[in-house]
Amino acid sequence: MSYYDIDAILTDAEKIPCTFQLDVPDLGYLDNNPTHALKTGTKIALPLWLAEMLAIANTGGGDEDGGKSFINFDLPAALSNDVVQALKADPRAVPLRDQSAHFYGLATRMMDLSDERELGDVLRKSFVTRASEIALHARKGAGGSGHHKGDDKGAGSNLGVGASGEEFLRGLDEWERRLFRKAHDGTKAGKEWMEGVKRH
Amino acid sequence: MDIDDILREVDPAHHAVAREKQDLQDLTRAWIAERSAPELLHWPSGGLFERINANIKRQIEKVEEMTGDMDPRTNFALIVIQTELERYKYLVRSYLRARIAKIDRHTLHYLSTDELRSRLSEMELAYATRHQALLHNHYLSSFLSSFPPALQNLNDTAGNISMIDPPDLESAVFIRLLRDTLVEGRGVDADGAMDGKESDIVILRWSDAKPLVEEGSAELV
Amino acid sequence: MPMYGDLGNKLVQHAKRTQNLSALPAYQTELVRSVTREVRDLDRDVASMLEPFQGSFDPSENQATACTLLVNHLSMRRNKRCLLAYHRTRTDKLEELVWKGADLIDLSGQGMADGGMNGNGNGEGVSSGGGGSGGGVMSNLSPQEEDYVRQYGDLLAAYKGQWTDIDLTGSLEPPRDLFIDVRVLKDAGEIQTEYGAINLTKNSQFYVRQGDVERLIAQGYLQKLG
Repeated sequence: MSYYDIDAILTDAEKIPCTFQLDVPDLGYLDNNPTHALKTGTKIALPLWLAEMLAIANTGGGDEDGGKSFINFDLPAALSNDVVQALKADPRAVPLRDQSAHFYGLATRMMDLSDERELGDVLRKSFVTRASEIALHARKGAGGSGHHKGDDKGAGSNLGVGASGEEFLRGLDEWERRLFRKAHDGTKAGKEWMEGVKRH
Repeated sequence: MDIDDILREVDPAHHAVAREKQDLQDLTRAWIAERSAPELLHWPSGGLFERINANIKRQIEKVEEMTGDMDPRTNFALIVIQTELERYKYLVRSYLRARIAKIDRHTLHYLSTDELRSRLSEMELAYATRHQALLHNHYLSSFLSSFPPALQNLNDTAGNISMIDPPDLESAVFIRLLRDTLVEGRGVDADGAMDGKESDIVILRWSDAKPLVEEGSAELV
Repeated sequence: MPMYGDLGNKLVQHAKRTQNLSALPAYQTELVRSVTREVRDLDRDVASMLEPFQGSFDPSENQATACTLLVNHLSMRRNKRCLLAYHRTRTDKLEELVWKGADLIDLSGQGMADGGMNGNGNGEGVSSGGGGSGGGVMSNLSPQEEDYVRQYGDLLAAYKGQWTDIDLTGSLEPPRDLFIDVRVLKDAGEIQTEYGAINLTKNSQFYVRQGDVERLIAQGYLQKLG
């Protein structure tokens, strides 16, 4: 992850549900209540850039097992059980963008923070399945499909560039969009090159 | 070896041609490698670019000399030389631009250690240092100078993210094997290894390919 | 209720849009100022919070204060990152334009300089301004950015100067044809080629050496045909 990367910075702004583990008099504003102290147990959605360090930092208050964190956190709604189940059923049917424009970025950060083995597996399969679908659309979009009718017989991906295809592309997250653009440009450049070879 | 070879060896003109040919080949290799590798490679030593520059200069002079000549034969030769010259210039330009693009993207990284700095040519080092200074100045005059002093640095590596941004050495490259060799690659789930044969073309992470390229067992394509 | 870092995020959203635009949108002077002010305010808060401790602050004794300090600190760092990324996105764009041979007058949105482009197509890229800018009423650049363009232009010219025969800012397309057909899109005055002078008047067509006109193509004076 790069310091100056705009998408990384925007991913860092994604919010996750957090629960404060102590009273903090000066932080009431985080809960829309600047005149009151923030109480233990208050639930607030905080951006990753804040939540991550607050969760990792140790209060140093050695009462229990060597201190606790300022906050605990949960998985955001974008990675809730419903979404995971839907992805398990058919990754191509889930518009990830509706969950988060930086869906995979967010998921990766969450998995860095806590061990979510099953989530990782589901996401990896989802990405691979969706990536081949993206490649398919990119090829069609770049006008390279003509000679490759045979390629389309893969597992039920007969989506044409019709309405359902557009719907799928609309649901891509930022990472997938970049992939789509690359696949599209690559196919186009390849086609132009082939034509150039024929001409000379 | 027969008498022709011996004669050729002692002929100074032949040597010059061989050298030029070798230089062009080295340039082409360096160009391909630089465009494929995700990180900046070493600036070629041994005066390669001084010779190439001199060569280009010579060709340009030759073109200028020949331009005055209206003999059709000269004219044809002129076009051949000019075409070749354009290709030569393109190689150098594209090579230099590929390097500058990498240096611009990770300036602080390439300036951060002596080993990394040694990869740059003198001119590139001067360019990178000045470019970084210009950027820092620009940030300072736009907003950074009114920050608390402790927050004015551009090279903090503390916190959860370093401000010095290295290139991604795990991105994929294609290599061609120049001799039979064991190729080892790390994967997401498991690592893999294969007995590669000469002229095999393999795709793998640059960090895995780098040792093979550096020891001369493979080249980037 | 807005929290610290929200304004910084707005800047980054501007940067995200900027990446996808060919022209540079207006510099967000007010937003930059507000985010910078936020950093100063946060820093002052930190100082006043620490003041009573006289340099002997123990986080485990004062957990609530430690938490607030951490939040403030992270907010400052976040704002710094947003500001840097915003400015960097713009300088990246500016540098790209300088490489393409745009000069300050083009960039400030004052329209094209009038008067024919003389020169041989290897034109000097960035004019060093000569104090001619500054009056850009409509400029999308901040004054600091205008300075930056000038300075980077000088730097690039110096680097290019070491490679005079190569034309470092020339085309990155591999050369195919030595000579090409071009159409003149706007008057560009007279250029010198090896084969004599050509007067580039609008809508005329020429068969010229590619190397002689590359810069004019990049700047939109000529269009390559075929």
